[in-house]
Parts: sequence; structure tokens; C-alpha cells
Amino acid sequence: MGILGLSKLIADIAPTAVKESDIKNYFGRKVAIDASMSLYQFLIAVRSEGQQLVSEDGETTSHLMGTFYRTIRLVENGIKPVFVFDGKPPQMKSSELEKRAERREQAQKELDKATEAGDQELVEKFNRRLVKVTKQHSDECKQLLKLMGIPCVEAPCEAEAQCAALVKRGKVYAVATEDMDALTFGSNVLLRHMTFSEARKMPIQEFHFDRVLEGLELNRGEFIDLCILLGCDYCPSIRGIGPKRAIELIRQHRSIEAILDKLDTKKYPVAENWAYAEARRLFETPEVTDPDQIELKWSEPDEDGLVAFLCGSRNFAEDRVRNGAKKLAKAKSTSTQGRLDSFFKVTPATPSAKRKVTRLFAQFTK
Amino acid sequence: MDNSHVSLVSLNLRNDGFDKYRCDRNLSMGINLTNMTKIMKCAGNDDVLTIKAQDNADSVMFMFESQNQEKVSDYEMKLMNLDQEHLGIPETDYSCIIKMPSAEFARICRDLSQFGESVVISCSKEGVKFSAAGDIGAANIKLAQTSNVDKEEEAVAIEMQEPVTLTFACRYLNSFTKATPLSPQVQLSMSSDVPLVVEYKIGDIGHIRYYLAPKIEDEEN
Repeated sequence: MGILGLSKLIADIAPTAVKESDIKNYFGRKVAIDASMSLYQFLIAVRSEGQQLVSEDGETTSHLMGTFYRTIRLVENGIKPVFVFDGKPPQMKSSELEKRAERREQAQKELDKATEAGDQELVEKFNRRLVKVTKQHSDECKQLLKLMGIPCVEAPCEAEAQCAALVKRGKVYAVATEDMDALTFGSNVLLRHMTFSEARKMPIQEFHFDRVLEGLELNRGEFIDLCILLGCDYCPSIRGIGPKRAIELIRQHRSIEAILDKLDTKKYPVAENWAYAEARRLFETPEVTDPDQIELKWSEPDEDGLVAFLCGSRNFAEDRVRNGAKKLAKAKSTSTQGRLDSFFKVTPATPSAKRKVTRLFAQFTK
Repeated sequence: MDNSHVSLVSLNLRNDGFDKYRCDRNLSMGINLTNMTKIMKCAGNDDVLTIKAQDNADSVMFMFESQNQEKVSDYEMKLMNLDQEHLGIPETDYSCIIKMPSAEFARICRDLSQFGESVVISCSKEGVKFSAAGDIGAANIKLAQTSNVDKEEEAVAIEMQEPVTLTFACRYLNSFTKATPLSPQVQLSMSSDVPLVVEYKIGDIGHIRYYLAPKIEDEEN
């Protein structure tokens, strides 16, 4: 589940790397969406009276509902989404996945207990913990997106890594995910809260990788080491070293090797055969499809196809589906508003009076 | 510049337009316009205004003096920390420069915005054409160059190197035309694929310029 505590660390140490803004400011931007993450979100959040939405045969449709309406919301705001699906999980992730399976088993037990006791609140809580994105879920979503005219990309391995590769090659502007690993994989821009419901009114958080590095005073390699120390999906971290210690150690020693040389291993026991080097390699050169071989094409939605797919046994209201398809088609036909910064260069600002003052104060208080 | 980086406004008042003007070094100050308007509303019509700021100040002073010097009011306004990127605007030779009565331009923008979200401005040898299309139909307004120039302010004059056609969002143009009372004439400068400049002169002492990024067709279409 991403990098432990990274977003908080960035917000504390490099606040200028994070910008908050409104979804409507992203018109015309191509954005790669980590599909597995958003499907998971939909399965958890798109519910009615605590239960997932289901078709006549009892198959879940929450993920389709979420994908359909939230994608329309993005497209209506002028955003051009690309959905990137996970491939096989990397070898290194197996222990993390085992842990998750264990937790799921635990939740199942708790759920049984709660059902027996008839505690509705707990039942709901553990039900949510049991949510898992299956192959069928993602296949159905791919089919839906194709009908909507939205491109999908199948990553050979981790979706975040593929998204990051697309950003680095300039194929898309940013990655939209909640997982902070996208930065560790080197994505220049990361957007959070992009696929959240409109009702939550969450502003979009934009992380800029270069400003993160500047703010943390690290280079990319050191940043990867920091993420491993914080705790990633691929190997354990060192017990007893939290975010604060981690950044201190990296700033002082500049690499995990140098830290291990100096570290008092009695105080901070390091896992045997700690596979940090492999994890690092995974972040540096992840298995991805060459972005140049991926063609992203947004096409007209297939209105009748959508009706056939979503209505009928899946129980979507036909008029709402047709309406949605019309919105997609309309957004497709309107031209995009340009931006001044694509014509004019950003220049360093004339020193502002106010900023100087704050700096002066900072010196005095020291 | 607005949040979505589509439009930008720059207001320039030259130092010779002021009775007294002193500036020892360049200084940029973040001003909250809503608050400044509040202070400006406190001024009398014939008051003399003095604006002052110290080096490294975190506030700016406005002083209003009545004509007979009997009433002097001081207002201090806190400055804002502007965390905005500054854009350098390059000197550009525009392919088309259109001068026209400002009220006419405001009227055209207002009328056309009833038809659609965007207006197409195309400038050719014959004249300049504004058009919009939408659900209710289409609208076209053509202006030819005025032949006899009796009053310069009422004339439509076009300087053109090559024809240009660009599309802009009405919403922004309608905000720009709020400056119409400043000047009887407006100047539109266009080149293909660069932002439009809408300029109003402010007497002899300066100008206000609005920049607007054009709408672009998607490369896939």
C-alpha cells in the first residue's frame, strides 16, 4: 500500500512540493489512472445502505457504477483519462501479499463473529476489509472503458510503474493514484483524490517530484532509499526507524549501505538477508512496456453498446446511461482551452516584500 | 493570472502620470484586490491619493487628502504572500492588430456569448469577423475597415501581415470588457497559436492588457 507516511513527511518538510487545486483546473490534461487502486476505491465506497450494488444475478456492479460515473466526471471537466491495469505482481511483493491474505482471513473470522453477534456496524466494517479486486472486476471495467472510448493500458507488472513511465516520456501529464509509490518510480507529477466522489469536495493534491527532491534535499537514488526505509511493498523496513529518523539518516549518510555501516544493529535489528538492493532495483528499473509503443487514443463512446452492457441484467437505468454517453460525446467534440504557460516562460519572481520579511523573522527567531 | 492559467492581466501606469513618484528599488507586493477596493471606496471623488510602502514592508499605506487639506485619512492594508509563478511575456510581432471602438467590442462579446461558449475571431484583408455557434443556431458579425476617418475613436482599423483565425472562450472576453469605460478604443492583437492581447489605453499614462490563451483543437481530431 504505497510508502508508509511519505505524504505526511513531504507535507511537513517540503510543503511547497504540494499544491491543492480544483478539478476544473485540469482541463485538457492527459492523466494516467492507476485502475486497480480506483477499482478498489469504488468497491469500498460505491455502496447503498452498506451493501455493494449488485446485478440481478447477484454479481457486484459497484466497480462499474464508479468507473462509469466518475470517468464521466473527469471527461466533463476536460480531463483525458487513461486507465492502467496491474499485470502480475512482482516476486518481491509476495510476502506483502501473503500478509494481506492473512489480514483478510483475520477479517473473515471477525466478520463471522460479528454476524453471529448481530453487530451491524462491525459487519459492515469487516465486509469492507474483505473487498478484493478480482480479475473479473478488471475485465468488466476494461470492457466498459472500451465502450466509453477511453484507452486502457495493461502493465506487464505494477501499474504505478507503468503510469510513471508514461509521465516520464511525456505521454501523459500526471499519474492519478492514492499510492505514493508513483513518486518513487519517478513520476514527475502525482495527483491524489482525482477519482473521489464530487460530493466529498476534496481538492486535488498535486505533488511535483522535482520540488519534493529539492525540499527534502535528496537526489532520486537517495529518495528511493528513503522510501525503502519508510516502508514499501517489496521488503521490510528497519524496526524502530520512523519517518523522522529515516530522513535524518539518509541526509547524513546518503545511502542505505552507508547507514548500515554506521547503524547500531543491536538497537535497530535489521532483517536477515534484507533485500533492500533488489527493492531499489525494482524502483529504479521496473518492468514496464516502452511508452513509445503505447498509443493512446480517445474515441467516440458507443451509446448502444453501453446500454446493452450496463442495462439489462446489470440493472442500470437506461436514460442515465444514454445521458452519460451524450456527455462523453459532447466533451469529445468541444475544443480544449489552451494555457498561457505553454506560450510564456515562467520567470523567477521579483523578490516579494512579504517573503523577505518572513525570512528575516526566521533568522531572528533562530 | 487565474488559477487555471488561461488568462492574465497586466496594468501599467507610467511614473510621469503621477505628481510625485519615487521608487528606490524594484519591489513586488501581493495585494488583495477585494480589500483594496474596500479602501478605495472610502475616498472622496476629488481626494488626492498617496500610496506608500517601505522596503520589506508587510503592509501598504493609502492616504487620502481632501482638496482643502482639511481632512486627511490614512489606511493601512496588509500585504499577501503571493505564491504565484510569474510569466515572462516575450515581445511579439503580431500578424493582426485590430483597433475598434471599445463599446462595439463589448457589445459583440455580449451578443455572441448567447450563442455558444466560444467565439471565433478571424481577421482577413476584408475585415474582421466574429462568429459563434451553439444549440440555438449561429451568429456572425463582420466589421469592415472604416474608410473615412473623421473621428479616430470610432474607426475600425486593421493592420495585417497575414490572416489569422483563433477561437476564444466568451467567459474571459466578457470579463475583459469590464474595462470598456477606461478608453473609447480597444486594440486586439493576434497571431496564430499565441495568446490574444486585448489592450485598453488609460489616458496618456498607461494601459491595461489582458492576455487570453486560445482554444485548441485536439490533435487526434
